[in-house]
Order: sequence, then structure tokens, then C-alpha cells
Amino acid sequence: MAANMKAVKLRIKSVQSTMQITKAMELVASSKLRRAKDQADACRPYFRELYETLQEIAEGNTDFTSVYVKKPVQETWCYVMLAGDRGLAGGYNSNLFKALEAAAGDRSFVALPLGKKALEYCRRNGISVLTDQFAEIADISVADCFAMAKLLCREYRNKTIGHIELCYTRFLSMLSQQADVISLLPLSDLDRKSMEEKKRIRNLILYEPSAEEVFDAIVPEYLAGLLYGGVCEARASELAARRTAMESATSNAEAMIGQLNLYYNRARQASITQEITEIVGGAEGI
Amino acid sequence: MKTFPLRIGTPDGLLFEGEVERVFCRTIMGDLEILAGHCNFCTALGMGRAFVVLPDGGKREAACIGGMLSVMGGACSLLATTWEWKEDIDEKRAGEAKKRAEKLLAQGGLTDQEFKLAEAKLKRALVRLGVKN
Repeated sequence: MAANMKAVKLRIKSVQSTMQITKAMELVASSKLRRAKDQADACRPYFRELYETLQEIAEGNTDFTSVYVKKPVQETWCYVMLAGDRGLAGGYNSNLFKALEAAAGDRSFVALPLGKKALEYCRRNGISVLTDQFAEIADISVADCFAMAKLLCREYRNKTIGHIELCYTRFLSMLSQQADVISLLPLSDLDRKSMEEKKRIRNLILYEPSAEEVFDAIVPEYLAGLLYGGVCEARASELAARRTAMESATSNAEAMIGQLNLYYNRARQASITQEITEIVGGAEGI
Repeated sequence: MKTFPLRIGTPDGLLFEGEVERVFCRTIMGDLEILAGHCNFCTALGMGRAFVVLPDGGKREAACIGGMLSVMGGACSLLATTWEWKEDIDEKRAGEAKKRAEKLLAQGGLTDQEFKLAEAKLKRALVRLGVKN
């Protein structure tokens, strides 16, 4: 019995120290989350407006002189993956990878991973990587997004990649985040309407000086803007996911400690009862 | 005068949303002013002074750097990389940036990349100072 008591006591201690860690991580995540959420909230209107405007342009577009608009000759894909730097965030990273796998299907693709987990995933699955220069998502700034956009545009113009898609986690609320894949380039990929629908509504657009020049000027900035918006969302989502995961881990640990305390007390009581029985039995024997 | 809805967005947030009479800005091919009833239109923005005229006749000036301007179905959206209202511009910081960039350019011996970077910094500082004064 005494040995049992000791085992339970040890287990309580180990659960307690785990709880300390999860509690601390929860607090860290929630304090960081506030800033990340403000940033994501500030960026979201721009992100949405930019994407919607480009989508409208893609729908109404009739001009295919720019390389960024016309359908590419080669069917090679590039996924920009925005995952976390660390684990212990519930299903945050694995949900993203699942969404990516569902979107990519059997296609062969290259990736531009952001976040250490994304890089690890690429290495593990033998996916070739454009660059691992931006592996730490926590340090990505607007300037980095511009550098990335430039890199992507260069690869796109060199025709090494034909389609660019962004794979990130949308921040819906503090409690729910959703992994999502959206198309970035070419702009004809943004157009989800069927051909018949298109025939009825056709908004002609005037480009100045010419469609080609306009697209050449705005596409790098559009990519950078969307990447930055995606990074802000992904960062907020990661912290929110981690906070929820750690919160439930802490409450699980609390429940576990309660249960173990019950066991401990029962074991203690049993050993006391046994001792008394032994003493009484011994006294009677004399 | 007739007005039209305008939205000005940057990565730092939505800076303006509402009805305006006119919006003026510099595009890659020169200065441009949009009035109500413009046809569907799309162009890329350059660097320069910009302003909007509000329905009450008030004029708000700003420095606008990069981005795109589009008019779709009568509504205008201006998505800029940087858009700073005149009152928000930090003159001291812009002045210092100008001096730094000028010094770098005067020194010479820069690589292509560095030269472009310094030049862009100088241009941005000049636009900001130009709007402020």
C-alpha cells in the first residue's frame, strides 16, 4: 500500500509540473494573441478588398496580353504554406497540411514554406522548396513579403511555375480557425464563374496606360499585400489555436489531479485501516 | 456636385471609407483625378501627392506611394502600399531619411541593389516632405 501511495504521489507531481507548463504557454499565447489579433483585424479589410477587386477584374477581364493574366502553358504549381513555428497548437499545423493535400491532390508541386513546421513538412515529404529563407513566420515583416513577392514573380516570369496558391489558416474567431487554400496567380485562376454566367455579365474595364503595364506594376504589390495579410491571419490563428489547446490541456490536468487525489486519499485510508487491523489482531493474539 | 463611394486601404488598415467628390493621385503615367460616374477603370499608382475632396468642400491631402486604383460599378477603391494623411506625416523622420539617403548616394560605391534601395528611400522621403510643406 505504501508503495502505491508513493506512485500516486509521484504521478500527481508530474501532472502538476505539466500543468504549470501548459498554463504558462496559455498565458503567453493569450498575451501575444491580443497584438496579433489587432494586427490581423487592421489588415483584413485591405486583404479582402484587394482580393475582391482582383477577382472582379479577373471576371471582367477580356485582355490577355499580360503573362500574369493568361492561362499558363505549363501545369506546375507552387503552394505558399503559412504554418506555425512550433507545435502544441492543437490541430493547427496538421489541419493546414491536410487542406494542402486535399487541394494539391496528385499534382506535383513546389512549396514556399513559412513557419518551421511547414519547412519540416516539406523535408519529410520530399517536396522541393523554393527557398527556406523565410522559415520563421514570427519574424516576417512587410519588407520580407515584398521580397517573397519579387521572388515568386521572377519564378513565374521565368515559367518555372505556372500557378501560385496560398495555403493559410483563416482567423474566424478566438475559438475557430479554418485552413484554406486560395489562388493567387494567374488571375484567370481567380475567376470561379462558369463561362455561361460570364457571357451575361461582362464588365469592360479601361486600363491605363495598357493592361499589360498595369498588371506588371500591380501584381508584385498585390502578391506582397496578400502574403502579408495571410501572414497576419496565420499568426493570429496559430496563437488562438495554441491558447485553446493549452486551455483544454490545463483543465484536463486539473481534472486528472482531482482524480489522483481521490486515489491517494483512498490508498492512505486503506493503509491506515490495515495498520489498525494489524495492531488489533496483534493485541488479541497476546 | 455628385459624389461617389471611395475606400482607401493599406496593409495597416482601412484609412478612409465614405462619399467623396473627387480623388486626385499620381499614377504610373501621370496625375489623375477621378470624378463621380467614371467608367470601370484600373491603373497602378506611382509616388506622389494625393488628395480627396469631401462633399462639404473640405480637402484632405496625403502622401501616396505605390498600389492600385480601381473603379468598379461606380465605387472607387484605392489600395495603396503607403498612404499617409498630411497630419500624420512625421516630418522629422522623413527629413532624417532624406539626409541619410542623400549621404549614401553621394558616397557612391554602392551595389545595384543598394543604389536602388537608397534611391527609393530618397524618393519616399521627398514625397512626404513635399506633401507636408
